[in-house]
Amino acid sequence: MADNKQMTCATCKPKGLCGGKGLVTLKDGAWANNPLAIQVLGICSALAVTNRLENSLVMGAALIFVTIGSNLFVSILRKVTPHRIRMIAEVAIIATFVILFDQFLKAFYWEMSKQLGPYVGLIITNCIVMGRAEAFALQNPPILSMVDGAANGFGYAVVLAIIGFFRELFGTGEIMGHKIPLFTDMYTPNQLMILAPGAFFTLGIVIAIFNIVKGPDKEEKK
Amino acid sequence: MKGNVYTLFYAATLGIVCALILTFAASFTAPYKKANAEAEEVKNILLALNIAVPDETSSEELLEIYKKNVKEEERGSIPVYVTIPSSENEGAVAMRFAGPGLWGPIKGFMALNPEMTEIRGITFYEQEETPGLGGEIVKESFRGKFNGLSVHDEEGNVGIIIKSGSDKAKNRIDGISGATMTCDKVQQMLNKALQNMIGEPQ
Repeated sequence: MADNKQMTCATCKPKGLCGGKGLVTLKDGAWANNPLAIQVLGICSALAVTNRLENSLVMGAALIFVTIGSNLFVSILRKVTPHRIRMIAEVAIIATFVILFDQFLKAFYWEMSKQLGPYVGLIITNCIVMGRAEAFALQNPPILSMVDGAANGFGYAVVLAIIGFFRELFGTGEIMGHKIPLFTDMYTPNQLMILAPGAFFTLGIVIAIFNIVKGPDKEEKK
Repeated sequence: MKGNVYTLFYAATLGIVCALILTFAASFTAPYKKANAEAEEVKNILLALNIAVPDETSSEELLEIYKKNVKEEERGSIPVYVTIPSSENEGAVAMRFAGPGLWGPIKGFMALNPEMTEIRGITFYEQEETPGLGGEIVKESFRGKFNGLSVHDEEGNVGIIIKSGSDKAKNRIDGISGATMTCDKVQQMLNKALQNMIGEPQ
């Protein structure tokens, strides 16, 4: 956690002003500082629930909902929150949003809720959510914080979807439960991809590709 | 000092607001969650009784299938779920069983044929066994082995055996490698349920 905080803080310095800021924030969260692929945060859930594309998408949606909601409210309350208890306040807000989503799943998407098991509830402890609240929402106005939350949630969701897509395809020969002809006829689904090691391999490859495409960090070059 | 009062006030207010929101959400979703839990149980009973259920079935449809095919009775003091005989199925009697597993409680339903001599099907709706080892008990590959398993040994004593080996007893099935503890415990709880149901040798 300590390391993570340092890493996120490098991005939280407000650069520039005016309208361009929203776009910079968006790009930063979703690409240049992608929480999963670049900062390598929140990988516990990314490894656990990505054995199927559908699970990954729901988990991504959950995180987008939580980061937007918690960033918004942490930001609205940032001037009245006593500094000493700000973290507890953040956790309370985050937990409220997470449980709301969990209840929603349990009520209307029972099967999905069973599949995701405890991992929806564990979003409370996801470094990405807390990290964005601490690093961004505390210093920035509500709307911009919402954009940041959406961008980071989106960045997480996209990487999750990529991992889920490949794990389901190579692990079961299906996509969203539909058989893909090429992968069921000529290829024997590799169970390893559905099990935990498959998640590690896929995540590693995704991180590597992200970093190759993005190129070396400008700050590191100096 | 003033700061402390404000901090306490702020914490209390935030806590109360969050709690109110969650209480509202919980009471709003309560009926849906209850319906889901009921449907889940019904689904397990149907599965144990080997009554075909289409893949994508809503909870209402499940309850309908259940009402059409199953009636609840009591044998002794044990509630059982009996299939209403029809052209499609040969009838079965399901009962609940429960017991300690390796890490947490295991609960499920077991269905017997109407004569109470063979197991028809079995399901587990609650278990926390080691994933990949004991957790495999929920897989069709393990549950399927129970189909047609005799509940009496050669001497007519009630009981089944879950143990790998070449023993050809008619009341034995293979266990899961690496999950001996779980298999032993499942065997115990099933035998206890069978004892309660069928009692002493016929």
